[in-house]
Amino acid sequence: MPAPRWLRSLALPSLLQAWPWLLVALALLGVRLSKGAGLADAYALLSRPFWPGKAQAEWLRSASRFEDTARIGALEAENARLRGLIGLQQASPKRLTAPVIAREPAGWWQTLLLGRGSLQGVAEGQAVLAPGGLIGLVTSVTPSTARVTLLTDPASRVGVWVGRTRRHGLLTGLGTPRPVVRFLEKEPGVVPGDVVTTSPASTLVPPDLPVGVIQSVDAAADPAPEAVVQLAAPVGSVDWLQLLER
Amino acid sequence: MALLSRHPWFAASILLVPVLTLAAPGWPRLAGVGPCWAILWLLPWALAEGRLSGVLAGAILGLLLDSLHHGGVSEMPALMLLGWWWGRIGRLGAPVERSFSLGLLALLGTLGLDLTLMLQWALRSGLGVGSHLPAGAIDPAPLAQAGWHLNDLGGAGLHVLLARTLLTALLAPVLCSLQLLLWRQQGGGVGRR
Repeated sequence: MPAPRWLRSLALPSLLQAWPWLLVALALLGVRLSKGAGLADAYALLSRPFWPGKAQAEWLRSASRFEDTARIGALEAENARLRGLIGLQQASPKRLTAPVIAREPAGWWQTLLLGRGSLQGVAEGQAVLAPGGLIGLVTSVTPSTARVTLLTDPASRVGVWVGRTRRHGLLTGLGTPRPVVRFLEKEPGVVPGDVVTTSPASTLVPPDLPVGVIQSVDAAADPAPEAVVQLAAPVGSVDWLQLLER
Repeated sequence: MALLSRHPWFAASILLVPVLTLAAPGWPRLAGVGPCWAILWLLPWALAEGRLSGVLAGAILGLLLDSLHHGGVSEMPALMLLGWWWGRIGRLGAPVERSFSLGLLALLGTLGLDLTLMLQWALRSGLGVGSHLPAGAIDPAPLAQAGWHLNDLGGAGLHVLLARTLLTALLAPVLCSLQLLLWRQQGGGVGRR
């Protein structure tokens, strides 16, 4: 039986002549099936020289920083207002930089002597920060010096908490390079690696200042569970410190 | 007190003790702990000058050092007692000159001084506030009591005691013999009897 007429018109030679159009048709079909992926990629490749440059990226980052700064400022103002309402310490007090002029990081007393005193506005009880976090509290002041009792001194007691578990404790110096947190609850639920910060409920120090990281936990300690803390600030090597106004 | 009567301004050397305590130079340290500068100055002074001068120097040193440190403990009683004892030794028998003797006296002196400090902290710790909380609850009062506690004295306190005592005893033969020689020369040698 001979082939139909329409089929005879699609002869092989004519198909071979039209192969470029077939390729175009297949490409268009691929574009359609891939929802324009090839087209978009081709456009991206071709338009790359005209993309927004680094300057525009920097503008965006700058705008983002501005937005973050404004948001943090608003949050701090709101936080200060709320803390003021309940009579707690301010979270972001002013800072005064002071040089370390004498240090006694080991021995019976573990203290630093700073080269700023009452003439510069330093007062007893001010929190002292080093790069990394809280390092101690001012315990005595002369007109031109201030003595700082380090967190490692056995006379040091600072209210802290572990933010992850919201458990409060008392950071207690032992005369060793690592103080301990003695918790006020029998089951603190903390683990090594938890970050210790100053307690939001403290009336002595500003809240949420970083203090250190829990190194080990002794849940069976008497009279309270305790955890050894590795201080975040390098106590023995700092030359300049910051004092927070109360 | 021949030295004081001849050269009273030598007594100003006592100010080196608080200066060195404050400066806390980094080189003379054992396990992070520095020597007891008060002992290293008081020992030769009391040996050369006698009991009265030793007690007075001990009292002045105690006042100076207590003003530098916080807490309710004092170094003055032990320093006065050591000044009296070493002044008495300087007046009895042969003059103390040997390095071993100086080192031993410095060792005993530092040990005595630090033990009196530990005793004062132990007494303060023992007089803690009593608990009125129900059984099982944690009483925050003893936790908040500042200063060395009995447990800490037996651990880190012992470390400080041993390191300070050994270091002071090791430095004494060098530093104290030089000072003793100077004080005796300037005092005309009469301070030894």
